[in-house]
Amino acid sequence: MVIGSMNDAIIMLAAICFPILFGAVILLMPEFSSRNRLLGAVGTGLLVTGILALLTLGSGEAGICLFSLGEKLEIFFRLDNLGRIFIVIVTIIWILAGFYSFEYMKHEKEEKRYFGFYLMTFGVLLALDLAGNIVTYYLFYEMMTLLSVPLVLHSKTREALMGGLKYLFYSLCGAYMVLMGLFFLNRYATTLTFTAGGTLNGELTAGNEKVLLVVVFFMILGFGVKAGMFPMHAWLPTAHPVAPAPASSVLSGLIVKAGVLGVIRTVYFLFGESFIRGTWVQTAWMTLSLITVFMGSMLAYREKIMKKRLAYSTVSQLSYILFGLALLQGEAMTGALLHVVFHAFIKSALFLSAGAIIYKTGRTNVDDMTGIGKEMPVTIWCYTFASLALIGIPPASGFISKWYLAEGALSSGTGIFTWLGPVVLLVSALLTAGYLLPITIKGFLPGADFDYGSLQKREPNLWMVIPLIVLALLSVVLGIFPNPLTEYIRTIVSTVL
Amino acid sequence: MSEYWILAAILLPIFGGVLTLLIPFKNRKIMMCYLEIVMLTTSAIVWKLILNGTTEVFHIIHFVEDLSISFKIDSISMIFAGLVSLLWPLAVLYSFEYMEHEEREKIFFMFYSITYGITLGIAFASDLLSMYFFYELLTLSTVPLVLHTLKREAVLASRKYLYYSIGGAAFAMIGLVFVIIYGVTCEFQLGGVLDMALIGERKNLLLWVYLLAFMGFGVKAAIWPMGSWLPDAGVAPTPVTALLHAVAVVKAGVFAMIRLTYYSFGPSFLRGTWVQNVVMGFAMFTILYGCSMAVKETHLKRRLAYSTISNLSYIIFGITLMTPLGLAGALCHLICHAVMKINAFFCAGAFMQKTGKSYIYEMDGVGRKMPIVFGCFTVSALGLMGVPGLAGFISKWNLASAAVESMNVQAYFGIGCLLASALLTAIYMMNTVIHAFFPGKDFNYGTLAGVTDPSWKMCLPLLVFSISVAVLGIFSGPLVHFLREAAGV
Repeated sequence: MVIGSMNDAIIMLAAICFPILFGAVILLMPEFSSRNRLLGAVGTGLLVTGILALLTLGSGEAGICLFSLGEKLEIFFRLDNLGRIFIVIVTIIWILAGFYSFEYMKHEKEEKRYFGFYLMTFGVLLALDLAGNIVTYYLFYEMMTLLSVPLVLHSKTREALMGGLKYLFYSLCGAYMVLMGLFFLNRYATTLTFTAGGTLNGELTAGNEKVLLVVVFFMILGFGVKAGMFPMHAWLPTAHPVAPAPASSVLSGLIVKAGVLGVIRTVYFLFGESFIRGTWVQTAWMTLSLITVFMGSMLAYREKIMKKRLAYSTVSQLSYILFGLALLQGEAMTGALLHVVFHAFIKSALFLSAGAIIYKTGRTNVDDMTGIGKEMPVTIWCYTFASLALIGIPPASGFISKWYLAEGALSSGTGIFTWLGPVVLLVSALLTAGYLLPITIKGFLPGADFDYGSLQKREPNLWMVIPLIVLALLSVVLGIFPNPLTEYIRTIVSTVL
Repeated sequence: MSEYWILAAILLPIFGGVLTLLIPFKNRKIMMCYLEIVMLTTSAIVWKLILNGTTEVFHIIHFVEDLSISFKIDSISMIFAGLVSLLWPLAVLYSFEYMEHEEREKIFFMFYSITYGITLGIAFASDLLSMYFFYELLTLSTVPLVLHTLKREAVLASRKYLYYSIGGAAFAMIGLVFVIIYGVTCEFQLGGVLDMALIGERKNLLLWVYLLAFMGFGVKAAIWPMGSWLPDAGVAPTPVTALLHAVAVVKAGVFAMIRLTYYSFGPSFLRGTWVQNVVMGFAMFTILYGCSMAVKETHLKRRLAYSTISNLSYIIFGITLMTPLGLAGALCHLICHAVMKINAFFCAGAFMQKTGKSYIYEMDGVGRKMPIVFGCFTVSALGLMGVPGLAGFISKWNLASAAVESMNVQAYFGIGCLLASALLTAIYMMNTVIHAFFPGKDFNYGTLAGVTDPSWKMCLPLLVFSISVAVLGIFSGPLVHFLREAAGV
């Protein structure tokens, strides 16, 4: 069954299948004769996928139902505006981080496996963004978990193996909570296809609201696992830092967003926001996300290992987004979606700069980074710009999204949360400054008694620097010209609220 | 005419098995061909019967009045018979390579073949008495298989197995007697055969009897607390553990429970009574108990055995929903689990046979050395976890949808148990897979020199099963449709 034009549908399928098959072929092939051949193949794969993904954006309302796994279990893809935003950020960051890996992965072994899974995960993420019903979403959600595990445990050290397993089990735990919701939706919803405003069957639902509220809470909690929401956040600071830096950057920038997209789809496109407005579910959701915002920042503040610190920061920032969604208010949701985009660029830039530091100097502890700005000025400048954006200093991008979040909270009419939310966000922003900026300050201003003689130029080469610059620029520039994006997001918000 | 074909399907493997012992084969190869022909012929007859459709009751021996050994083919006997007839020839093929280094293989193959006939007898039995007859025979014919190695632990395990099974059958017997007395007939009929007029005030007594009979059959289905024979029986050669202790014997227990619940007592008699809460409670507890024990266990085959205990109770959970959809879900998991678990066991067997090791922590790095075997094992592992696109997801979906549909609050918690168990399954299966494929940074592959994938005789069944797991997961439509019809949805 095809909705819209056949050509659009075919491009859509191609964008999903090509990277998955291409990655699988790379995995199955015998070792390449030279490293350049492998990189050539991977580069082609990334670019072709990128082009296909961008081509899908141009298509109108296209959709395709591939086949049924069983009654009501349709594999169905459809493009909508929300999906478009996710496709754009996934494509940009995935390709940039991929090119960054060309240089970075030199000092790691078994690159073929890494790149194979990297490409496959790319396809799976595109599929998630294009998924038209919750069954398809769930299918690819599980696939994403399984395919990204090899990225986490790539180095095969004991720490990496443990991190990988922890990641796997937490994610599956979340996925099964979601699955629980699917069973109930299958009965109580008119259709499992995402429909703005919700699809609950009023007749069947009447009298069973209590059960369904528990179910929706489980689904939020389940998707929240991927998005690092308290109390299921503990995997994130373990798993993200042990992966190679480009993998951590896509894990922290994009894969966690799949959890956010899942929550949006569940709440706004299946249950409908009116179903949970004013119930205990909304209160619990807001409470948990605010706890996470504060806790993540605190933990990041006292963490000394740079990549772990960034991972804790992801925990905190993702809950900004979840809090914005929990308010069930237009402005807040706009802010949340803006933050999805901004945080993706910012956090990937931060992780890539952390990777550049590790690659060139081998330093991981923030206390050892005194004077680093003198050695790698471009990297640290990019880091600084991204940090400023994350803290929310105008006109960098983070300011815009936080502004909308705070404004939304103030006019949401959610009782205590109208003022508690903005206060927590503000405190967390201060903490963000506290944990990000010391690297810049110590990096550029090492102090009077610093031994400048031992410094050497250690800037990484262009494969690493260019992606970094692009991402850092994006995080700032989007804040200066936010209007087109904001307008676009408003159209999405207006359909569901 | 088809009556005699039923008899042929049951007797051919039994006599074929006995002849294995009597014929002096020149070499192993001829015996292998002979046995494989017997198996394939039997399976062909079974499929001919299945394709012909349902039959009338066929009495072969009359004891007194309406007590007889009689056969009939209805939709759920088709499902059970069809399942075992597909698995048996492949399992025999696998056994040829596996049993190469074991002694007394003739005796082994004799009983292995006889068990096939008896299992078909259970599937085709048309009333509780006939089924009970074959059910007892099944115990007797499989004890020598558990005993096969004649080691001390094998003797102990077979003794335990024997006592548990005979004891369970005795309880089931009580149910049989009451169904004969209080039933209109003792023949199986979907919806039950109890005569309400006869029961009158004694409903509670009948419920107690049902509980006893249910737990009696539950011994073979390894429901807690009667399941501890199953991990112990893992001392048997792997073809026995894989086919009998993951499919034929244990599923015969489950099959008997289906016959008892849906075809004798009737779900409408039981639904909503205290006994439903009790049996469902046992199933839910066993689901969690089985996989918790599996996580704790470090011996690969015992771990899989505990996993079987847990998965059997998925099926039992479906049965205890006492709705047609629940039955359909149970049948679906009966099939899907059979394929996934026999595959996992065969992989474990291949690993044990090639390396001589049997503990999880000894599995480091074998994934690279035996890519086919551990590729197939991974498929099974993912299937058991319920990853969508594989068989396990479909059966879990059907079971859980049935539970939601039943509007029974206890069943909602049952869904929770299913999912908690899926998570534990992920822990114990993925942990194994990770050991095999990611042995750690400094692992020395030299210690695994000489370990390779086994020959085609072992690999073919593995590949067939793995592909079926995927096919069942992707194209489940017709199967689910058939199962629903069989369950009377």
